[in-house]
Amino acid sequence: MYRIRLHGRGGQGIKTGSRILGSAFFGAGFEVQDAPVYGAERRGAAMSAHVRAARTPIRERGVITRPDLVALVDETLLQVPAANVLLGVDAASVLLLQGNGDAETWRARLALSGTVVVLPAAGERAEAELGGARCAGAAARLAGVISRPQLIAAIAQELASLGPVATATTTAQALAAYDAVAPHAGVLRESRPAAATAFAAPEWIDLPLESARVAAPAIFAAATSVEVRTGLWRTMRPEIDYARCNRCAWICSTLCPDSAIRVRADRSPEIDLEHCKGCMICVSVCPPQAIRALPERAARARELAAAP
Amino acid sequence: MNPALRRMKDLPSTHLLGAGSAMCAGCGGLLALHEICDLLGARTVFVNAASCMTLLASYPFTPFRGSWLYTAMASAPAGAQGVRDALDILSERGRLPPEQDLTAVALTGDGAATGIGLSATAGAIDRGLDFIYLCYDNEGYGNTGQQSSPATPLGARTATSTGAHGHPASKMDLFAIWVAQRPAYAATVIGADPLDLARKIDRARALKGPRLIHALAPCPPGWSFDPAEGVEIGRLAVKTGIWPLKEYVDGRVVHTHVPHPRLPVEEYLKRQGRFRHLFEPGRDTRVLAQIQSQVDAYWEQVCA
Repeated sequence: MYRIRLHGRGGQGIKTGSRILGSAFFGAGFEVQDAPVYGAERRGAAMSAHVRAARTPIRERGVITRPDLVALVDETLLQVPAANVLLGVDAASVLLLQGNGDAETWRARLALSGTVVVLPAAGERAEAELGGARCAGAAARLAGVISRPQLIAAIAQELASLGPVATATTTAQALAAYDAVAPHAGVLRESRPAAATAFAAPEWIDLPLESARVAAPAIFAAATSVEVRTGLWRTMRPEIDYARCNRCAWICSTLCPDSAIRVRADRSPEIDLEHCKGCMICVSVCPPQAIRALPERAARARELAAAP
Repeated sequence: MNPALRRMKDLPSTHLLGAGSAMCAGCGGLLALHEICDLLGARTVFVNAASCMTLLASYPFTPFRGSWLYTAMASAPAGAQGVRDALDILSERGRLPPEQDLTAVALTGDGAATGIGLSATAGAIDRGLDFIYLCYDNEGYGNTGQQSSPATPLGARTATSTGAHGHPASKMDLFAIWVAQRPAYAATVIGADPLDLARKIDRARALKGPRLIHALAPCPPGWSFDPAEGVEIGRLAVKTGIWPLKEYVDGRVVHTHVPHPRLPVEEYLKRQGRFRHLFEPGRDTRVLAQIQSQVDAYWEQVCA
């Protein structure tokens, strides 16, 4: 059985990617399951999708905790503990990562003993919206049991309702990824179906009794939502060029849906990167065009380089 | 008009709605809500019907400065009635000084406002309930994947209107339904015009009785556009005359902005994926002409 987990953000096509991959396996004669998992959060928040494919009926259910392949569309999720990207990844697992850098660097950085395959990042837009489809294309090749026509047919089937244009662009991106990882074709191996006899019961963890204040906190404070760091959702980052800023912060700060632009005493704006979700409305409404959109990945790389 | 709200510069520069809520990046509903909160102040109780904004306050996190009460989809006006009654009883018994009184605000999406919750709203207006009804209208059931609601406009593709010509019915006129019941106040607003919105909230908060604030809420995933374009699309909704900015006060309807010259509706429609089938692969001239003629007819009647 192949157990494949896709990780990305809402809006990157993770659910679509898992459906494409599932249909492609089905077209190749496999029994298939695919299911997305997302909580209450929205576009930009971490989500995952789970695909199982096997030559015999699949009796496993639920999320995949021991993946044969983890496909990561957005490597910034590695910094989000709740995304749990590396859950169950061991020496036998393959990590497919869309981004920059080479496989050895990632293996060292993540302290992984298994195989790492890097899918070079596509243009910003394709990456933002078609990351799921690109990872599905790459995963299909890594498994080595799905042909190009089977992948193309799966995309046509899953995207039929979105029309020919969406199908064509998605197919092009998925095939580009399918070709890009050709040297690694077949690196993904099937693992044995789980047997009930091999099931290890989870260890008990004793939770101490906590005081009611801690265990069931009542909300007595205002605006506690600031404790939620929605800045982690961002794929693009707005950056203010203060030399060009007109000090008309009432415009950008009023039109920021998330109250994430503060007005300083001198009427210049300050972006709260802890909470900015990266909608880029400020970039499009700034009268002197003093705010530019920067890929979050590039902004973080620059910060890392500047750090002592 | 409140002389303190003449220019954009006069808008509040500190924002009361907390950051960190779970709404989508670029949410047009959150944009309107955050501007409205700045004007209403902290002394409010939001009574939230099931909607996208169900997720605004997810325990133990809330973006509000005041209380939040969650109700079933049809029940926000009934919830607001309970809150108002409780405040009135406290007040009568001398346990609530006037300066500590709160405003009850029903907060719903268009699904509750024009569909599931309309009868509860009609009842509340009929009883003269002293509350503000804030509807953020993203023209469909956005939280569940943008199925059609009575507020969905003609021609829009939704999860349940997938035919070649999109949604077959015209958008329900919630403002007119309210006005027919002679409320204390009713207004349409949009987050993309914060000054017009602020003046209307300022007016509404000084009045008593049932008050409607109906905000068009451009929705990046539901309407299929890049979140960065949300404000521009909102401005185009006004400039094309599709979203008339108006208010009902002292028994008459006044348009607070008459677009002139009025842009063709296509300028608004072609920016959104939900109308793409009207332009690709071929132009759907019949539906496009129908949408334009509805807008033309509206403004002819206004300017007559």
